[in-house]
Amino acid sequence: MGGLLSYFRGLLGSREMRILILGLDGAGKTTILYRLQVGEVVTTIPTIGFNVEQVTYKNLKFQVWDLGGQTSIRPYWRCYYSNTDAIIYVVDSVDRDRIGISKDELLYMLREDELNDAILVVLANKQDMEGCMSVAEVHQALGLEALKNRTFQIFKTSATKGEGLDQAMDWLSNALQTRK
Amino acid sequence: MFTLLHGFYKYLKQKDEYCVLILGLDNAGKTTYLEAAKTKFTKNYRGINPSKITTTVGLNIGQIDLSGIRLSFWDLGGQLELQSLWDKYYQESHGIIYVIDSNDRDRMEESKEVFDKMISNDHLSGVPLLVLANKQDLPDCMGVREIKPVFQHSGSHIGRRECLVMPVSALTKEGVDEGIRWLTESVKQNSIIRKPRGVND
Repeated sequence: MGGLLSYFRGLLGSREMRILILGLDGAGKTTILYRLQVGEVVTTIPTIGFNVEQVTYKNLKFQVWDLGGQTSIRPYWRCYYSNTDAIIYVVDSVDRDRIGISKDELLYMLREDELNDAILVVLANKQDMEGCMSVAEVHQALGLEALKNRTFQIFKTSATKGEGLDQAMDWLSNALQTRK
Repeated sequence: MFTLLHGFYKYLKQKDEYCVLILGLDNAGKTTYLEAAKTKFTKNYRGINPSKITTTVGLNIGQIDLSGIRLSFWDLGGQLELQSLWDKYYQESHGIIYVIDSNDRDRMEESKEVFDKMISNDHLSGVPLLVLANKQDLPDCMGVREIKPVFQHSGSHIGRRECLVMPVSALTKEGVDEGIRWLTESVKQNSIIRKPRGVND
């Protein structure tokens, strides 16, 4: 029944894609969301709860959810998992101390059945800062080699400078459009 | 009763799964090749437009069901920095596809060095190897005859394993079929040494 419905929805025009932006607190999730939406750097405060915005990128409509990343509210991420098309996982590339926690949260999250078909984009954010981790380091620190049944891509980004986000969104919209 | 029937059904649908690693320098055409293979062997799959394929930093996956088995592909990024991540996948691989950009004479030596390092890894000993001289659609590219001598001295590393070098064009999909079919047979034959992963459909 669901398949039939989605078929008709496909005839009526493309569905809005649902994307979650996740990551530890202070990784830059909210800054990225508003960079994507208004193209500017906004002053943010730690998100308690969520921000949700509609983002249009090259004729594709995304509904983007930015969920708070603090320890106490991470357990609530799972309430938002259903019908998620893609996950943008943001990592603070300078925060070597907490990359291990970030890894645990990521791998724990991807074990959920509801996210089996979700495409993963990892943003190694804060690349403008000195001493940040490289892509290979982030890959290793997050233990991404454990993800053998999922397409994923890592991008270097700097949300404050606006670098790398376009490439990431380009790749993501292509991946979402050709996904089976 | 239902459980019994369901179990029987699952048993019938069960396929052996073999993992194939696609490696090579960046810009060799690994992702384009994977998309071409997926398009060839999957019904109703349109594939990513080759012009929209960008540098891989991460992993692309693909699955093809062919002659009773399932091939699962892992296409990894080929940039220098990312080559250090390749060996994490060696132990679980049943086959290797190494892609060469036949049109890039300047980097042929580099490609050979990377190849040597990869193929001499102990975790890959005996694993079937398919070497692809890609981009044969370009007029000035090197043919298989020209490329083989470059890799001649790698013979000792290759050792005793199924190995095939073939020309291919991932862009026009020429030669993609034959390569995948050869690899399918090779990993099946090699299954005594490298057992497949049992999976349910």
